[in-house]
Amino acid sequence: MTGHDHQHDSSLSPTELRVKALESLLTEKGLVDPAALDILIETYENKVGPRNGARVVARAWTDPDYKKRLLEDGSSAIAELGYTGRQGEDMVVLENTPSVHNLVVCTLCSCYPWPVLGLPPVWYKAAPYRSRAVIDPRGVMAEFGLVLDDDVEVRVWDSTAELRYLVLPERPAGTDGMSEEALAELVTRDSMIGTGLALQPK
Amino acid sequence: MPVLQADKVTETLRRGGSARVDADVPARFAPGDRVVTRNINPLGHTRLPRYARGRQGVIDRDHGVFIFPDTHANTGDPKPQHCYSVLFTARELWGADASPRDKIYIDLWDDHLDPADG
Amino acid sequence: MNGAHDMGGMHGLGPIDPEENEPVFHAEWERRAFAITLAMGAHGAWNLDMSRLAREKSDPAVYLGTSYYEHWLHGLEQLLIEHGFVTAEEIESREQEILGGAK
Repeated sequence: MTGHDHQHDSSLSPTELRVKALESLLTEKGLVDPAALDILIETYENKVGPRNGARVVARAWTDPDYKKRLLEDGSSAIAELGYTGRQGEDMVVLENTPSVHNLVVCTLCSCYPWPVLGLPPVWYKAAPYRSRAVIDPRGVMAEFGLVLDDDVEVRVWDSTAELRYLVLPERPAGTDGMSEEALAELVTRDSMIGTGLALQPK
Repeated sequence: MPVLQADKVTETLRRGGSARVDADVPARFAPGDRVVTRNINPLGHTRLPRYARGRQGVIDRDHGVFIFPDTHANTGDPKPQHCYSVLFTARELWGADASPRDKIYIDLWDDHLDPADG
Repeated sequence: MNGAHDMGGMHGLGPIDPEENEPVFHAEWERRAFAITLAMGAHGAWNLDMSRLAREKSDPAVYLGTSYYEHWLHGLEQLLIEHGFVTAEEIESREQEILGGAK
């Protein structure tokens, strides 16, 4: 939309109207390239998402050397699979074990590892999760249907800096011999945030 | 900087922009050091959350030297310094009713921390 | 600043209520607000920490009552005006044009 082809439309909400007005003005002033906006949207709507992270996890489950590199230097190991860039420049991978469960939050805003998980879901950015993940992580996980034994240590990671955290969930039992590709199908977005576990094979 | 053009979007996103700084800034703390967070209440931006001010923790790992957002947001000064994962017990942050096992890790910078006594 | 964004440990903000098979965006304006924010950030007139501060400066009652992309939109608008890319008057008059008012 440019400054010369406004649609007359009074059914817009105030927010919709404000966004339209800003885009129209910025485009008219030559400050944004509308085609660039379309590519930005297309990238995060259709290309980058939690399937990337699932491939990282499945590789770590099947390749011990890769897992070692991943835990030592998350950014480089994730870059080996081609996932780099904005909001994932400095990655840290946290390994879940039978005795330790990791949970990631950003209490101050919505920091999230875009190259491996895509853009965060609404609940991750909203007040209920951000407020309670640090004070009541077990209650929060229970709302996702995840109840951990009392003897499991819960580690909550508040992403207050530019480090971005990815949880490496435990490999489910009964998956010996499964291909990396089939294993990746078991890795959910929530299992890489810590609000879930990897799926059991069917 | 110029307008972000369509043919530059993918490359720009893939490159990103790390806040890590290649500077030789000495670390004030090492993993295992006991620290106490400062009690600060600035009117501007800070990455030290209210729930973790004036609390004792332990340096878990040193992430290296990063831009310091507390100054970067307010004046543009990057003031590069070490950023650490600092481990707090749930009981230190939330009191005796909290789980005795659970831990909270918060990323904090040198300017948020002082050595804990004893 | 001790704003509404710094919410670790607060109570009473409701259930988490995750949405099944959630889409990346929930409305066209979210797509555009997201992309405009990234594209304008690329000018380098402000850094990412300044963007965060601009969102944090919202009225606490408004912050708690609005969605994530509304926070982004609010922050973007403040920065655009502060850095002289647009004026509040230009925004207002463009809105009137879109609504079919006086041009």
